[in-house]
Amino acid sequence: MDLTPNSEQEALLSATADWCHDNMPLEQARSRHPALWNQLADMGWLGMTAPGMDLDHATEALVFAELGRHLAPVGMISSAVAARWSGHQGKTALALLDRDLTGGLLRVYDAPGATHALGLVGGLAALTALPSDLGGEPGLDLSAPLAHIDPAPPFTALGDPRAALHLQLLSAAFATGVADAARDMAAEYAKIREQFERPIGWFQALKHICADMAVRAAVAKSQLLYAACALDAGDADAGFHVASAKHLADQAAIDNGRANIQVHGGIGMTDEAYPHLCLKRAHLLTFVAPPERAVILGEAA
Amino acid sequence: MDIQFSTEEQRFREECRDWLHANVPADKRPMDAADAIGFDKAWQRRLFDAGWAGINWPSQYGGRGLSIVQQVIWLEEYARAHAPWIGANFVGVNHGGPTLIINASEAQKEYHLPRILKGEAIWCQGFSEPGAGSDLAGIKTRGRVEGNELVINGSKIWTSFAHVADWQELVLRTEEGSQRHRGLSWVICDMHAPGIEIRPIRKISGQIEFAQVFYDDVRIPLENVVGGLGNGWKVAMSTLSFERGTGFIADQVKQSQEIEELIDRARATGAINDDRIAEALMQMRAEVAALRAMTYRNISEVVRNGQPGPEASVIRLFTAELGQRLDRMGLLLAGDDILDFRYGDDNHIADYLRGFAGTIAGGSSQIQRDIIAERVLGLPKSR
Ligand SMILES: Cc1cc2nc3c(=O)[nH]c(=O)nc-3n(C[C@H](O)[C@H](O)[C@H](O)COP(=O)(O)OP(=O)(O)OC[C@H]3O[C@@H](n4cnc5c(N)ncnc54)[C@H](O)[C@@H]3O)c2cc1C
Repeated sequence: MDLTPNSEQEALLSATADWCHDNMPLEQARSRHPALWNQLADMGWLGMTAPGMDLDHATEALVFAELGRHLAPVGMISSAVAARWSGHQGKTALALLDRDLTGGLLRVYDAPGATHALGLVGGLAALTALPSDLGGEPGLDLSAPLAHIDPAPPFTALGDPRAALHLQLLSAAFATGVADAARDMAAEYAKIREQFERPIGWFQALKHICADMAVRAAVAKSQLLYAACALDAGDADAGFHVASAKHLADQAAIDNGRANIQVHGGIGMTDEAYPHLCLKRAHLLTFVAPPERAVILGEAA
Repeated sequence: MDIQFSTEEQRFREECRDWLHANVPADKRPMDAADAIGFDKAWQRRLFDAGWAGINWPSQYGGRGLSIVQQVIWLEEYARAHAPWIGANFVGVNHGGPTLIINASEAQKEYHLPRILKGEAIWCQGFSEPGAGSDLAGIKTRGRVEGNELVINGSKIWTSFAHVADWQELVLRTEEGSQRHRGLSWVICDMHAPGIEIRPIRKISGQIEFAQVFYDDVRIPLENVVGGLGNGWKVAMSTLSFERGTGFIADQVKQSQEIEELIDRARATGAINDDRIAEALMQMRAEVAALRAMTYRNISEVVRNGQPGPEASVIRLFTAELGQRLDRMGLLLAGDDILDFRYGDDNHIADYLRGFAGTIAGGSSQIQRDIIAERVLGLPKSR
């Protein structure tokens, strides 16, 4: 039993952080360069657990939390799942169905350049082919182009039920990253913004908001890593652990996203500042592989 | 990273389970400290004789010299077997002993550590005073050096198990006129020494478990100072790191048991069909899982780096508040039965009332939040 990264994982993590800092800063989340996707593929992040690289989910979850902290494109989640379970390499768009099975409206994120989209259909991960000219405009989340297809085209389910858990795990990792980003942004601002002749972080009311953000982020991160290990181990409770990780990560991302705006005051309400990017990403992620109550309560078969 | 235990650890877990299955006492631990002391001592002795006391303490002082992971496995099985609360041995086993292991002289360790493990010596913690609670550096109890003795005057309060204790972790001001963190010493105080008066205090749960202690010219040999005269703050901080860090693992582990029991009760009574109750139970089941993950992360950190990371204070705060929500759910499920509660009852209502200690004792949740903000996030110090 060991829930701390080993030295290789540490090295990978700090290399990821450095790369993101230089090439994919959060501050540019709403104007990502089209060439970014080729770079992400070159870095190997779209197929970490796929045949060829064969890394474990624990390593992948660590890295995806770091990518999520920089508001990396959401299509990375669907791409990684497709690469692992369907052999579709490269970019696979993220599909969200507004109904559980077929028909209804389909939302597609990060479609440009992708031939397929992956989403959850009736509890299983499934793929659909995309029209070649599908583009999109940002919706609530400003970091990804969103396209609509109505009615949704048919999907082909991937055979392995673990693909759905993988999707839930990686979206939990992204949400954990958002919670981390919001915590750090709030703490940094609380150190530099001065009122009443001192940094606002001196005031206990703000300290305690920030401390609660740290607690939520630590809770989410710990459960994320445990869930990833459970999935790696083929643990009988892996479904419960991944669902719990997603539930806590979504909560942490939304609550920290909101708290971060509060800590920023007026500037936090502006389109120009960055806090809303975290909050909006958090809201989008709650719709990706949402956890089921029965699974967390241990009632599901 | 992995969550698998080694074959050796799994075998150890089975040993724990088998022994607990055969040996957990059938009778319930009495509620009040004075009634429970015989029970607590006998149970600790049995644990010691069977090799379950001080699992990760050095073997030269009576421990088993095993890993902290094995200690956690033991605690997990302990909770699962509904073994009794450690009670009066809490201070000695969970922070008095560990403080001595790091800070004490060889003679002090040789004398005290085996006695703690055998349940022969009960310890209490004399940190808080009427005027110094959250602000521990405001300690006024003083010890005047006279020859090779300290002459002690003052008062401590909220001292758990003081009236049944043999020894005390006593932090006092040994340098006259010294301010705040300076001039303090951490002393092993003999609770049977002349000049000590103990007034037990009843809690809102009805239990008599803590006390106010008065010191009137109490003489303690200077050789009982731990870590050197004037170094009390540093030693006290190491005590608190054990109390707040690894000391509460047993509580954390117990919460996994509690949430399952609450869910079973909610199913049995049909309360789970109420959406709000199902939602709250779901929330807590996920959080209890995360708490275990945090505890494992913390333990892994200790194994890797020799000490818990700064996130220990995060775990402490989270455990305390989660514990109180679990207690409140127990209360909710008990319905109007709670109205019949009487002092002496040891049930969910008593748990709920006792549970207020979680966010007050060992540093309140407000103080823990300050610590997290300042030490984990680096916000400016305001005190
Ligand atoms: C069941 C129980 C057992 C205990 N056992 C022991 C024991 O064995 N040995 C021992 O030494 N002590 C013991 N204590 C004492 C415990 O450590 C203190 O109660 C605790 O440190 C708080 O101190 P206080 O009670 O003086 O409250 P105060 O410090 O007066 O606090 C009152 C309120 O003010 C808040 N507050 C105080 N300062 C600040 C601040 N700077 N910012 C924000 N809020 C603040 C607190 O959070 C609290 O809500 C025990 C307490 C309890 C409840």
